[in-house]
Amino acid sequence: MEKSSYDAVVVGAGLAGLMSAYYIAKDKHRVAVISKVFPTRSHSSAAEGGIAAYIKGNSDPNDNPDYMTYDTVKGGDYLVDQDAAELLSNKSGEIVEIMERWGALFNRQPDGRVAIRYFGGQTYPRTRFVGDKTGMALLHTLFERTSGENIDIFPEWFALDLVIDDSKRVNGVVAMEMKTMNPIFFKARAVVLATGGMGMLYRHTTNSYINTGDGYGMALRAGAPIKDPEFVQFHPTALYPSDILISEAARGEGAILKNVNGERFMTKYAPHKLDLAPRDVVSRAILTEVKEGRGYPGVYVGLDLTHLGEKYIKERLALAYEAAKTFAGVDAVNEPIPVRPAQHYYMGGIDVNTMGQNEEIKGLFAAGEAACVSVHGANRLGSNSLLETLVFGRETGITVSRYLSATPELSVDTNPEPILDEAYKFVKSESGVPFGEILEKLRDAMWDRVGVFRDEDGLREALSTITSLREKVKEMYVTDKSGVYNTEFFNALEMRNMMDLAVVIAKAALERRESRGAHYRLDYPKRDDANYLVHTLAYIRGNTVEITTKPVRMTRWQPEERVY
Amino acid sequence: MKIAYYPGCATHGYAHDVDTATKIVAETLGIELVEVDDWNCCGGGFLDEKDPVSHVALNLRNLSQVEKMGFNKMTTPCSVCLHSHRKAEVVYKEDTNLRRSVDERIKETSVKYSGNSTTEHLVWILVRDVGVETIKSRVKKPLTGIRVAAFYGCQMLRPSKYLGFEDPFTAKSLETLIQTTGATPVTFPMRSACCGFPLMGSNEKGALRLAFNVLNSAKQMNSDLLVHPCSLCHLQMDITQEKVKAEFNLTWRLPAIYITQLLGLAFGYSADELEIPKYAREVLTEKGYLTTF
Amino acid sequence: MSSTAELQKGVIKEEKTEIVVKVKRFSKERGEWWQEYKLAVDRFTQITEVLRRIRSEQDPSLSYRAACHMAVCGSCAMKINGAPRLACKTLALDLVKRYNDNVITLEPMDRFPVVKDLITDMTEFYDKMYSVKPRLYPSPQVLEDKAQHRLRPEDQRLLWKYAQCIWCGLCVSSCPAVRIDEKFLGPAAHAKGFRFLADPRDTIQEERMKILLDSAWRCTYCYMCFEVCPREIEPVEAIKLTRTYTPPEGMSEVSRMGEKHTDAIKESITKSGKLMEAYVYGKAYGAGAIRDFVYFLASGRGKYLLVREKPVNNISEVKKLMGEAK
Repeated sequence: MEKSSYDAVVVGAGLAGLMSAYYIAKDKHRVAVISKVFPTRSHSSAAEGGIAAYIKGNSDPNDNPDYMTYDTVKGGDYLVDQDAAELLSNKSGEIVEIMERWGALFNRQPDGRVAIRYFGGQTYPRTRFVGDKTGMALLHTLFERTSGENIDIFPEWFALDLVIDDSKRVNGVVAMEMKTMNPIFFKARAVVLATGGMGMLYRHTTNSYINTGDGYGMALRAGAPIKDPEFVQFHPTALYPSDILISEAARGEGAILKNVNGERFMTKYAPHKLDLAPRDVVSRAILTEVKEGRGYPGVYVGLDLTHLGEKYIKERLALAYEAAKTFAGVDAVNEPIPVRPAQHYYMGGIDVNTMGQNEEIKGLFAAGEAACVSVHGANRLGSNSLLETLVFGRETGITVSRYLSATPELSVDTNPEPILDEAYKFVKSESGVPFGEILEKLRDAMWDRVGVFRDEDGLREALSTITSLREKVKEMYVTDKSGVYNTEFFNALEMRNMMDLAVVIAKAALERRESRGAHYRLDYPKRDDANYLVHTLAYIRGNTVEITTKPVRMTRWQPEERVY
Repeated sequence: MKIAYYPGCATHGYAHDVDTATKIVAETLGIELVEVDDWNCCGGGFLDEKDPVSHVALNLRNLSQVEKMGFNKMTTPCSVCLHSHRKAEVVYKEDTNLRRSVDERIKETSVKYSGNSTTEHLVWILVRDVGVETIKSRVKKPLTGIRVAAFYGCQMLRPSKYLGFEDPFTAKSLETLIQTTGATPVTFPMRSACCGFPLMGSNEKGALRLAFNVLNSAKQMNSDLLVHPCSLCHLQMDITQEKVKAEFNLTWRLPAIYITQLLGLAFGYSADELEIPKYAREVLTEKGYLTTF
Repeated sequence: MSSTAELQKGVIKEEKTEIVVKVKRFSKERGEWWQEYKLAVDRFTQITEVLRRIRSEQDPSLSYRAACHMAVCGSCAMKINGAPRLACKTLALDLVKRYNDNVITLEPMDRFPVVKDLITDMTEFYDKMYSVKPRLYPSPQVLEDKAQHRLRPEDQRLLWKYAQCIWCGLCVSSCPAVRIDEKFLGPAAHAKGFRFLADPRDTIQEERMKILLDSAWRCTYCYMCFEVCPREIEPVEAIKLTRTYTPPEGMSEVSRMGEKHTDAIKESITKSGKLMEAYVYGKAYGAGAIRDFVYFLASGRGKYLLVREKPVNNISEVKKLMGEAK
């Protein structure tokens, strides 16, 4: 296999990946960014509502970073590492200012300063935004910025696996150019996994088709743990039936959820925060309404914007308006938008500290949704994901740079060939199961049994289904033998990544016998701090999932009852 | 049917034959064209880039004249004039900053625009209001056996946000009209490509290439004639075709005529009455549709 | 009846319609061929979902790009029923209704070389985007945090309009000027270029004019980019706005000619309220007009030289509307 040497390789070219690459390159380290899609296609572009930030001199006069941390900790149902959340809040202002300097076109106040709005779970309004295409605006700004820097970007290259040596040290990554199918061993002392989320594991998701959890699979196979894998966020307002995200900004701007009787049902579930309660609370409320017969027949509720007026809707909520019109044929100026919960975000991820560093495998870093820095705990607040990608993308980049300066060049020469042999098996097989057959069953199992509401029986059933599906991956085969842009081959590799993660999620969900944030057990509806105020760490060892725990780091906020 | 008529500068200038044929055909079909009082230029597709406020103000003056005459609509045979007015109508509604400046300009003039009157292409009037059956009933000399390429160009179709009469990718109004004459309409790949006219001012070489692409695409489908809906396409496809011929060493021509000229021929008018351009006459004579030259 | 109202009454049973999808396929090994798939869809089914289902349920070898399924990532640009469209922004049954045909054709975009099935090589597109220096060059004081950017809400709105390009390539794939003129940067790059050219926070405006101005005069105003842009950026309008800038030093031949021509049109209208062709020709082309005259006479149009269109009577009103003389 051809070899190419870098100091560091970043896998993924969304906000987290590009941000870390920028800070690695800034110190003159040689960095490659590998992405299976052209950078602007990354899922960061789909983030809509905004980025939370406390900006000194441009925030609510009563607000301060501590309120922001408190909101994040409480929103995450106390499974948040509080030092990480403090870092997130404290650096939020400067990160938005950096993006502003680089040209991000934030909406403005009449005096020219960056504008602000409310998002779910915020004590004071903190969300900065570019219409409702904030993710797209930030991703383009950052990509355009980095395209002028000394960073080698490899768009449409698929990362297969990490190369790890005998002393549990990262040696690099094997990736393949999708067009030519030419594999290269990218030799590097540090690898940042910034591969984003995993929505495709679920039947209903707001995520991109490309969100197949590739980084989680790679990390698990390299022996690194996934932290808090059972915590999957379901966004309450996905458009029915296409699952296109209707941003929380809609509710931030005043939209109201109503059941089939026209009742504002959130008054029952969150009497103070109402429609702007955190996402786990609202998702459960919607599904409870539906279960108790107050949903619309297609199993959804209405998101009412009509009182906001046409001009306001079209200017501030353009994307929501357009999505409802284009994809559901609903004119939001005149009628409620049909919505239901769908998978949206993954709080779990590759276990890293606040510097983005995995402490078990030397040279392994992760950032963004792929990582679990534990700023979101059991439930992420809206506007905190864009913020996390940039704040921790930068922290990780800076750490990698420091790590590289302190770490000598690799002397060993680990053989990367087995990674290829393993992958090529799928193409070499002449018969077996095509990936689609496994995928559709997985998505149903996850949605039905590892979804918004969970219980012991369902999780056991899911685990057994997933385990047998995971066995089937071994029999998977690729019908297409083309040597140019063979997407079926890459779909098969994605399938493998998805299965490795799915089994870990199901197992961890089964083992957490309490309800916390987005993990809701019908059989254990209460939070149980005595037994479960700990992080889950899940490893894959051969055919088994190993679960251990790790303490939650608390600084100033003791757990209290979570009411909104 | 009585309708306000906006000929436009080219139609009253070097493409005068478009005006002549259009008036004859309209009369035959019982349409009374009433020329807009003291109309002004629409900006020719260029004024809006130099001076967007003047562009809108001037176009609104024409529509204001139309309203004063008691009409709520005017029709034009020229796609560029159509596009220019339609654009003015839309941006005046949508762009609040521009609207403010335009209102400032028209304040001390006689221009009063209600926002209700609009501009339509003559082809739309023929297809939608007059109708295929009426047109067919006037045909005296069917053009059976002649293959006529239907060339839409740009400005009658795009963008649909301004125009919207038919889907730019599946337009069929010209084919419909050609069919009424008994001729065989030819739908060719470059039917809605640019004729190159707007590029003549700045990059003639490129403009000739665009014109060639259109002509060649239609010729490849064995067309005898090309029919179009625009006074500026008319100049480009007629006069400039000679330049294209020289530039690309062509051994053939594909003469172009305006849609009402084709209709007029089928209605039995002579080439002289319709002012059919010279190169088209050659083909029509050769094909036996014109007996006198 | 609106869909929500229908759904409220529970009358919708997600009615399925059978469609035939014809895909123009290509692989290096096999060349080009058309393949047909049949599947049942409802009125909410996006073409991206059609493709996903074909791949998952019928033919895993079908290759295409798709990511966000909400028209912000720009991956799924292709030709659908012959027109450049985003697959995600197109509903299958909308096409069936509009074309009155349950057969839907999918082809790769024009212009870009086909790599595999619906996947094209967009290198040329990306290179054009990079060539306009698509990033803000703020002042050093701002970068060093010694000064602060402010931006008026109206400027933000204007720039944001053109900043929303999602790099899908549809406009370039269907642009006739790109096809004939390698010096033309294409609609997307112009929208992107203008977004920075007009940004009051930028510091390299002169260089941007050098990059953009010559190219801007190579656009032929066919409005194809305006029509096909799935984000309604209206790139041609960015080109029109770019033409209003005057570079600090020497214009290229193309932009000099173009500007002369447009100036002549404006002058003619200011003088007479009409576009006097002879005047514009003479003014714009000078001696070059004589060459054209030969063709003009040859075409038999000489007689129209004598047609003299009368100027607008109320010329003072025209002048007022054009902002001349109070």
